[in-house]
Order: sequence, then structure tokens, then C-alpha cells
Amino acid sequence: MTILARLENWKEQGAISQEQYALLSGLSRGEPFSLFLELNLLLYAGVLAFVAGLGWTVATWSQQLGDVVVLTILSAILAACFWYCFSRAPAWLPAETPAPSPVFDYVLYLGCLVWCVELAYLENRLGLLSGQWDLYLLATAVLFFCFAYRFDNRFVLSLALSSLAGWLGLRISHWPSYQDAPYRQYALLYCLLVSVGGALLQRRGLKPHFFATYLNVVANVLFWALLSGVFEQHGYGVWFLALLVACGFSFAWGLKRRQFAFVAYGAVYGYVGVSSMLVRNINDFTTILLYFVITAVAMLVALVQIARRFGRAS
Amino acid sequence: MRLYTASSEETLRARKLLKDWAGEGYLTKEQGLRLGQEAVSELRTTNIFLRLVLILFTLIIVAGTAALFLQVSRPSDQTSGIFLLIFAAVSYAAAEVAASQARLYRYGIEESLAACSVAFLCAGLMLAIFSGGYTPKPYLAHSVVPVVGVVSSLWIWHRFGLWYAFLAAMIFAAAIPDYWTSSRWAQHLMIVVFYTVALIFVSAVRPRHRFDYLDEHYSTAEALLWLGIYLAINLQLSSLNIRAQWWLGTQAGSEFPSPFYWTTWVLIWCLPPVILARGVRQKDRFVIAVGTIAAILTFVTNKPYLGWQRHTWDPILLGILLSGVALYIRRWLARGPDGIRHGFTAARLSGRDKRWMSIGSAALGLVSPQSITPSAQTKSPDVRFGGGASGGGGAGGDF
Repeated sequence: MTILARLENWKEQGAISQEQYALLSGLSRGEPFSLFLELNLLLYAGVLAFVAGLGWTVATWSQQLGDVVVLTILSAILAACFWYCFSRAPAWLPAETPAPSPVFDYVLYLGCLVWCVELAYLENRLGLLSGQWDLYLLATAVLFFCFAYRFDNRFVLSLALSSLAGWLGLRISHWPSYQDAPYRQYALLYCLLVSVGGALLQRRGLKPHFFATYLNVVANVLFWALLSGVFEQHGYGVWFLALLVACGFSFAWGLKRRQFAFVAYGAVYGYVGVSSMLVRNINDFTTILLYFVITAVAMLVALVQIARRFGRAS
Repeated sequence: MRLYTASSEETLRARKLLKDWAGEGYLTKEQGLRLGQEAVSELRTTNIFLRLVLILFTLIIVAGTAALFLQVSRPSDQTSGIFLLIFAAVSYAAAEVAASQARLYRYGIEESLAACSVAFLCAGLMLAIFSGGYTPKPYLAHSVVPVVGVVSSLWIWHRFGLWYAFLAAMIFAAAIPDYWTSSRWAQHLMIVVFYTVALIFVSAVRPRHRFDYLDEHYSTAEALLWLGIYLAINLQLSSLNIRAQWWLGTQAGSEFPSPFYWTTWVLIWCLPPVILARGVRQKDRFVIAVGTIAAILTFVTNKPYLGWQRHTWDPILLGILLSGVALYIRRWLARGPDGIRHGFTAARLSGRDKRWMSIGSAALGLVSPQSITPSAQTKSPDVRFGGGASGGGGAGGDF
């Protein structure tokens, strides 16, 4: 029985009203047909192409155009974007707030990206901070966090998170001889900062819908950092233990909250970490293959049990 | 012929729609629950994350078992081929059992087994029949492997309803002309002919399933075929040394006869409007998306096609064009009665769109800064720009 026949049936049974029937049968037939997603993607691609071209043009023609022209153009775009956002934004609310207009989010996103281009240009030409890139990134991260919370924008929140990660990464690159270990520690510090910050903001009811973004970023950075420790030749025991704890926590969180991405993270990162520990001293290819077959069967059985109990299609 | 009954798949579709409608407020919560009880399917499904993990581990098991068997028995190439053919049969049988007995539906396990059966079949055939010495191409007999790949992938697509099996069939089909002729232009032409024949077939079958669960099945197939035809026609995209052609200014046309080259240039301008018109007429989301992608690719590849120099401001113009078109369409639709014109609206009607937007904005926000900062164009001591190695909206780029 097709959905149209079902709707007809439900209408006759009185389970849905005549108006609901008209609306839902229309939607099932694509009447009206929504172009919401397509138009948003087109706008996003447009903003991205525009800023990419802007950056490329500034990079190539800065000498010919001169600093004044470049900075005037960039500042004008920046001012226009931020004027639009501040003048159109509704009063701030701690809860999720819909954008005041369909293009609002993209204008803000454009402004943030142009800000990055202008900042990069300023430092290159004028060297205001004598190459202290990390400070620019930190300031950018702070600004983007403020914008993300003011305008309720996930695009800008992601930019803020990647800027913060960039700041931590750049600080290490200034060190005379940096290796993996400091990166790992900074990655853990990043996870701690972001997760605690995200949790506190969520607890205070400030844009609680952002919390999922924080958690997904933190989970992936954390697992990569722990795995890099597990892959070390020496001193990997602590990292391995930490990985097991993180996997257990991720599993428990995912199952409790029905967020199965975290179950997937726990399963895949955990399997990679445990396998690297167990296989690293085995030289016999047959034994390695046997290991993978047996353990993958065990994982499959466990996951099927989880899927049967918790994970029906959403 | 199809593994799942029409009523099972229709029930699953109804269940999804009910959930979406209840989420959007088109149905009350009570109505959603009550009607949901009437849409219970016996098929076992799971969510996308567990499905992906189950695919991964099933692939490890199947590939690991085959590798282990061959490692222990160490047979000759030909015998290995025969073993792989046996593995193909076993994998396929297991997929059938998993779907028909255990009632698994897009569960990760049955689809991985089905995919492995195609891979084993092709690899087994290659080893069993053609494991002798090197044979120079073009060699007609070798094409039996991609031909079998096409047939088996199409079977899996039809039987299990997996869209990516159709994509695999298209990739196998694209490999066939390589065995038949060494002429590049003839290869492109053959691929276009294959895809066009398939497109005619799909277009003929689709109208019968306009409002049932198979509509999406044929919609993805049609969209993939349009995309395949476009990619085969656009010689700038299908040539292997794209980077060199685009940045060093060499033309891809040198390896193709001039009439063929310029015919394809005309076609890359004609195809996007045709695809878009078809998508709009059918109200087909996938075909509209492919039409849009084809239009953007035409704009991007036009200059390399003509051998013209690319300018740094080209992406700016493209960005303005894309945004302008999106804004114009949105405004035009919004001005219609109830925000609807000719059966189209710019308003969001499904919760699925909102979910995609949330996931996409978070993910793209993390990825895009690295991709928009261009690499350095000049080594002049005064002007160094780009790099974009550090994220942060490109602000970490090295000047």
C-alpha cells in the first residue's frame, strides 16, 4: 500500500482530518516541492567561491593594487556584512533562535571569512604583531565564539573551534624542536577546554543546541590524540589505558543519549587502538589475519546486539 | 525479483514520513504514535552510524577470511581465482540469507556481503581466466571482467536496492571501452552511449513508480547517469592531467580530434539546462542537484576548454553568480501566493532538511577554512600569501 493509499485510508477512518489529508498527500506528491536545501547549498558555495577568489586576488595582485585599495575593499565588505548582521539581528535569546532572514547566516559567514583574509593581509604587509600568528588566531577564535553565540550560528561556531585548534597548534610550531608529544598534550588541553566550556554553557542554558557540535569535535580530536600516543614505540601504556576509558565513556554516552555517532567512535577508534597494541609484535601474517577475522566477528556480534537493543533506524 | 516485498518497503517509507510529519507538527504527537503503530515493518533496520560500523567490520571479516584462506593454502593464480569465485558465491548466498531470513535491511552486514560478492567475482574471473602473461590493450576478451562487473552490480542494485551498486555498475561500464579501443575519443563516445541507453531505460521505467517507494531508487539512478554522461563529455574533467592543463595552460584537446573536442564543448553548455529542466519537471531533487553541479562545472571548465587564461577573480564572479541566482530564486518563490510558484517553494517543509543543514553547517565550517586559502602564487620576497595550513578561517595561512 503506497503512502497515498494509506493517507486515504486514515482519512476515511477519521485518524487524520481533511485538511491534514490535503496537506500530507500534497507533500507526498511533491506539491509543493521545497528547494530549501538546494538554495542554501548554492548560497554556501557562492560565499565560499567568493572568498576563495578574494583571497587569491589579494594574494596575487596586492603589489599592483596597493595596501590602501586592498584594505579599503576588504574593510568595506567586512563593514557591510557586520552592519547587516547587527542591524537585522533579533534580540538575543539564550535558546535556539531562528535567523531573521534566509541569507543572514551566509552574510555573517562571509564577514567572518573576509575578516580572516584581512587579518592575514594586515599581518603580512604591516607585521603588526611581528609574526605572532597565534595571537591573531586566539583573537579570531574569541571573536567568532562571540558571534556564534550572539547570532546563533553553527558555521561560525565551527570556525571558532578550528581557530582555537589552530592557535594551540601554532604555539607549538614556534618551539625550537617540537615533536608529537607536545601536540598531543595540547590536543588534550584543547579537548578539556572545549568540553568543559561547552558543558558549562549548556548547563547555563546558553545555546544548548551547540553542545552536540562541541562534543563531536572533542571526541574526534581526543581519539586522534590518544591513538597517536598508542602508536608510539615507548610509553604507550598510559595512552592505551586512556583510550580504553575514553571508548567506554563514548559508548556509555552514546547509548544513554541515543547518539550513535559516539558508539561508532568508541567502536572504531577502540578497535584500531587495541589492534595496534596486539598486532605490533606479531610478525606472522597468518596470525595477523586470524586476529582480524576473529576480533571483527566478535565486534560484529557485539554491535548487532547493540543495534538490536538500541539502534533502530532514526 | 526484488529481495524485499513492496509492502515492506512501503511500510518503512510510511514510517519515515510519519516521523518527519510528526516532527514538523503536521500531525499531533498522538496521531504520530497511533499511525506509527499501523506502519510496523518486519524488516530490521538500524541507524546510519551503526550501519557504517557494521559495514566496516563485515568487510574486515570477509576480506580477512578470503586473505587467510589464500595465505594458508597458497594456491597458484588460477586456483586462487577459482577460490575467489567460490568466495563470491558464498558471500552472495550469505547476503541473500541475511536479507531474506534475518530480514536485514540496509543493516550494513547484508550489503557488505553483496558488495564483496561482486568484488570477489571480478577478481576471481581475472585470476582464473587471464592469469597468464601480459597482454597488451586493447584486448577484447579481457573486457569480460568489467562486463561481468556491470551485470553483477546491476543485479545487486536491483535485488537489494543499493544505490551505490548502480554507481559501481557505471564505473565498471566506464572501464569497458578501454579494452575495446585505444582511441580516447572513441572511449568517451562509448561511455556516453552506454549511459544514454541506460538513461533511456530508466526514464521509461520511472513513470510507473512516480509515487511509490521505487521512485527514489530510479531517481538516484537517473541522477547518476546524467552525471556520468556529463563527466564523460567534459574532456577537461575526464582527462587525467587536469592540474597541468588548468594551471600550466596546456589544452586537453590536443589528444582529441578537433571536431570531437568542440562538439563536447557545445554539449557541456547544452547538458546542464537539459538536466535542470528534466529535474524541475519531474520535481526530482537528485536530478536538480546534478544539473546544478553540471552547470557549475561548465562555468569552471569553460576557460581551460577554450585555452583562455584563468584569472584570480574568476571565483569571485562565480560566487556572485551562485549567490545571486540563489537569492533571485528564493525571492521569486517567496513572492508567489503562500510562497509557492509553479508547485515550488523556498520554505522548509521537512525536518530532514533542518538536520542536514545542522550537520552540514557544523562539518563544513570546520573544513572550509582550509580549502578557501589559495597556495602561494609568487616567490617574491615582498608578496607571500596563502598556505592555509593552520585552519582558523585561513588566518593561519603563511604570507
